[in-house]
Amino acid sequence: MHRLQELPGEWIDRSVALKFHFEGREYSGFAGDTISSALAATGLPYLGRSFKYHRPRSIFSFADHDSNLMFQVDGVPNVRGDVTPLREGMQVTAINTFGGLYNDKARILDRFSAFLPVGFYYKAFHSKRLFPRWERMFRRLTGLGTVTLSSPRALTPKRYGFCDVLVIGAGPSGICAAHEAVQAGARVVLVDEGLRAGGSLTAVDGEERRSMSALLQALVRSPRCDVRTATVASGYYADHWVALTDAQRMTKMRAKAVVFATGVIEQPAVFRNNDLPGVMMASGARRLVARYRVAPGRKIILLTGNVEGYEAAVELHAHGVPVAAIVDLRADSGDELAVQACTKLGVQIVKAHVPVQAIRGFDARVQALDIAPLQASGGVNRDATRRLDCDAVLMSVGWAAATQLLTQAGATTAFSPLLQQFLPDELPAGIFAAGRLNGVFDFNSRCADGRRAGGAAAAYCGYGESRLAPVARSTRVPSHPFAIVDHDSAKNFVDFDEDLQVKDLQHAVQEGFDSSELMKRYSTVGMGPSQGKHSAMNALRVLSRERGMSIGQLGLTTARPLYHPVPLKILAGRSFSVERRTPVDAQHAALGAVWMPAGNWRRPEYYAVGGATRLQSIAAEVSTVRHRVGLIDVGTLGKIEIYGPQAGEFLDRVYAGSFSTMRIGMTRYGLMLDEAGVIIDDGVVARLSSEMYYFTTTTGGSATVFRELLRLNALWGLDCQLVNVTGHRAAFNFAGPACRAILQTLTDIDLSEAAFPFLANRVGQIGGVESRFLRVGFVGELGYEIHVPAGGAVAVWNALYAAGVAHGLRVFGVEAQRLLRLEKGHLIVGQDTDGLTDPFEANAQWAVNMGKPFFVGQRSLRILQRRGPRQMLVGLEFADSARMAKESHLLIEQGDIAGRITSIARSAVLNKVIALALVTPQRAAASSDVQVRIEGGEMLTARIVPTPFYDPKNQRQRVEGA
Amino acid sequence: MSLLTVHRQADSCHLGLKGASATQWLATHGVIAPTAPNSWSGALPGPGEVEPLIVARLGASELFLQEAAGGHTLERLSQALRNSPTGVYPVLREDTALVLAGDGVHDVLAQVCNIDFGAMSPESRVIVMTLMIGVAVLVAPQVAADERYYRIWCDPSYGPYLGASLGAVVVDCGGVCTGVSA
Repeated sequence: MHRLQELPGEWIDRSVALKFHFEGREYSGFAGDTISSALAATGLPYLGRSFKYHRPRSIFSFADHDSNLMFQVDGVPNVRGDVTPLREGMQVTAINTFGGLYNDKARILDRFSAFLPVGFYYKAFHSKRLFPRWERMFRRLTGLGTVTLSSPRALTPKRYGFCDVLVIGAGPSGICAAHEAVQAGARVVLVDEGLRAGGSLTAVDGEERRSMSALLQALVRSPRCDVRTATVASGYYADHWVALTDAQRMTKMRAKAVVFATGVIEQPAVFRNNDLPGVMMASGARRLVARYRVAPGRKIILLTGNVEGYEAAVELHAHGVPVAAIVDLRADSGDELAVQACTKLGVQIVKAHVPVQAIRGFDARVQALDIAPLQASGGVNRDATRRLDCDAVLMSVGWAAATQLLTQAGATTAFSPLLQQFLPDELPAGIFAAGRLNGVFDFNSRCADGRRAGGAAAAYCGYGESRLAPVARSTRVPSHPFAIVDHDSAKNFVDFDEDLQVKDLQHAVQEGFDSSELMKRYSTVGMGPSQGKHSAMNALRVLSRERGMSIGQLGLTTARPLYHPVPLKILAGRSFSVERRTPVDAQHAALGAVWMPAGNWRRPEYYAVGGATRLQSIAAEVSTVRHRVGLIDVGTLGKIEIYGPQAGEFLDRVYAGSFSTMRIGMTRYGLMLDEAGVIIDDGVVARLSSEMYYFTTTTGGSATVFRELLRLNALWGLDCQLVNVTGHRAAFNFAGPACRAILQTLTDIDLSEAAFPFLANRVGQIGGVESRFLRVGFVGELGYEIHVPAGGAVAVWNALYAAGVAHGLRVFGVEAQRLLRLEKGHLIVGQDTDGLTDPFEANAQWAVNMGKPFFVGQRSLRILQRRGPRQMLVGLEFADSARMAKESHLLIEQGDIAGRITSIARSAVLNKVIALALVTPQRAAASSDVQVRIEGGEMLTARIVPTPFYDPKNQRQRVEGA
Repeated sequence: MSLLTVHRQADSCHLGLKGASATQWLATHGVIAPTAPNSWSGALPGPGEVEPLIVARLGASELFLQEAAGGHTLERLSQALRNSPTGVYPVLREDTALVLAGDGVHDVLAQVCNIDFGAMSPESRVIVMTLMIGVAVLVAPQVAADERYYRIWCDPSYGPYLGASLGAVVVDCGGVCTGVSA
């Protein structure tokens, strides 16, 4: 390849030279070059290596899916050379090499290709013994660019966009569609993955180019149109929501209507060595020559099966790049005018011949093409093979419609045997197709089809009327039905991303992977970075031949977002991470809180005080609660109010216990089940008045529980209203033997046991803040939950803290609370229960009133009662307290799993390691020793014991006069 | 040209009401709620009140009120609610209130919310209930001196996150934030 003389309209600016490094050597290109065009102009024989066999590769399609020409650029992996503009000082290296591009040690794999058949890695992993070895080898050998963890974090803010009509593809049909929609009054966004609009137009001059330029300029000037180039529509989602990806960000474009003018993608001919550097698509060569003025070679053979091949030869000639010969796969092309035009230019025309193989030169590039005549039977007369010397082979044998996004939008396609192309069949509302995608190929028809689609899309959005008639589809055949030539020595590639040859697909079919979906998954055809854009159709043709079925019968594989690879940084965007904080967050921080996530809240795990370790801090917090007084922020609990005449009945239905009969001023534990009788949440329900209850949910469950309650309320239509006040109300647990006396100094409520007994609730004031007091005991000591409006939280917290410090108060965190409740044997839903645990298994049947007319899960519980438990929650004490098991360690009995630990901790007050475990019913019944397997396979002995471990008669929560 | 800002309005008071009789009860206390769901209105100030009161209807029987510092209407209503009027349920609202304003305000909103605020007419006085970077919010587009600005309310536990995240976007877009940490 070499750079041509300057030509008006070229995309490069020769006045600005750009120096860059490739594989450690300095080169020079021009402003406006892409990495690939600049490298091609240097005359380097090849620019990359293939994924599997490490074969030399060069520019192939030059259409944003040259997956063998992705580079490591300034530390960024997998940068696409064909679309990435060159910059001064770029450091570019080839990817997927061992020792550099021109000394790649892995190139030897090409010689061992016979030992790497299709699906070889699936088969390799069949051996359990060899699995680790294969895994290590595959991990070492595979992969493309190198992720450098030291790279600076690049924030790529996503944004939402809105328009009436989104037009995808800025070729002639797309430009006309956008113009028509704008003229009708619609707000239009026109996007194209190319660096400039214009699509396939590469001619130097002419009426087509001029008319498109005029329309494009009008669109750029229009305030109603937003033209975005270098922007890929990478995925279609529901309701005309399209992900638009550019170098900086992803735009989530919400359109009212979408026009797909995505065009067609040129497909390669398949013959031996069709991947040699110098063999490339004719459309890619046209772009390379017209835009970047790089000639693909000095002696060019053009392999064709359509009229576009002849047009390419004429155009290249006009650009100063003569084509030596055209090899036409067809005996009768029907394109006599085009043939004559080429003949006049001195191009040798060879009809009814196929390429047998490309010949590799000393520099790894193509140096000749062997061709053989087609016989009348359709076979190839290999005895008459002859060799044509060349340094480039351009292929123009057919196209595949870019239907991937269209089908993601819900459109169906049908294969046209005449056009040898899938065409849009049924389109959902608001979806329109135009241009070559739609089977319309000549320039004027594409423009007319674009105007029709743009007008219809605008009308769909309420702008004007859809008045233009459908445009007739092409009658000429743009694609050869089978440009695939078998060869005994293979290396006739169908998929250049994954180095898949014809025989690989044949073997996949022979092994039973004989549908388009199965073949794709087994062979990985179409699963590389280009996502089948150049391989899916040829793979279908091979499958069609092997199965004896039509392409239409086989159908395309399902296209799913993302249609085009998107860098992870673009998907990450700003990396927003939702976090909730309680009103006393700053007070926690001042007290030395060490944070932990709890749901989406941040909570103090413990408070680091005076250089104590984590375990020391937690132990001190526990001890303080047991012996003096502790204060914990429990504002993360879900907090819900329910009002209305039927509020009690509603709670009776959603909880397993009874609440409509509960006295005003009392609280009760509530257990919430799903329809299967499984425990999904728990909390405390307080009755504040005849028509008002206030109840808590678990921290993690508040949003889902509230949503479910709203659904049930709408379903049942009871006269009650639910309000979620989780974030609007703070809550603290003030607990320990000294808490009553301290609290009494702060509130006007009579806290005596007689006036405010265990499980009662009262409303009163602390420091002028109206508060709700619930006398409950999750930590197993005398204690009060104090619920206050968020605005008064800091005042109440400070008052409690100040009053308590004189009595040895410590604030305590989540870990201390977990230990305290474990000593009491209180379960945590989701930790000590799993997705199947019912109240009987959790020893919580005391919270269930089966005599009620109805509650959610009741019917299932009746069945579960008859069936008996599947597992039981039990307490464990460990004999050896020096070594600790962990949560989820297994109980083992005679080699089988007999249960698992759900919570475990070392209790200082009990001086032993205690745990809760879900075990088989047989084990739960026997109060005996069990074996627990810990890390390294070591076994610990534990004994099943009754719970609570601490204060089994609950005397400390009901203490008089403390 | 006006500077892009996000500002936390820390001194405003809020009140929520639910129940079939809420609108009527409010009217008896001189506060007229808008009739259309998802809309807001500014009520006439009462005697001695100079600060505006915003009354938003969030649904058929749910109302949200905000009053700026110095007003007494919400205090008066809260006192009246202690009598437990039939069919009216007070809702504790301790919302974080933010105001987003200035040039580029729609650029900020486009990065955090899937609503085309630019296409909305502030004269329509809509109240939008939506998600903003993962947080349920109420948004009221408003206009003053031909300049758009947006009032945003959210659950106070999300306030620090929403304020800081919005602040970061605002700063990236060349603006400043007050009362929130970017």
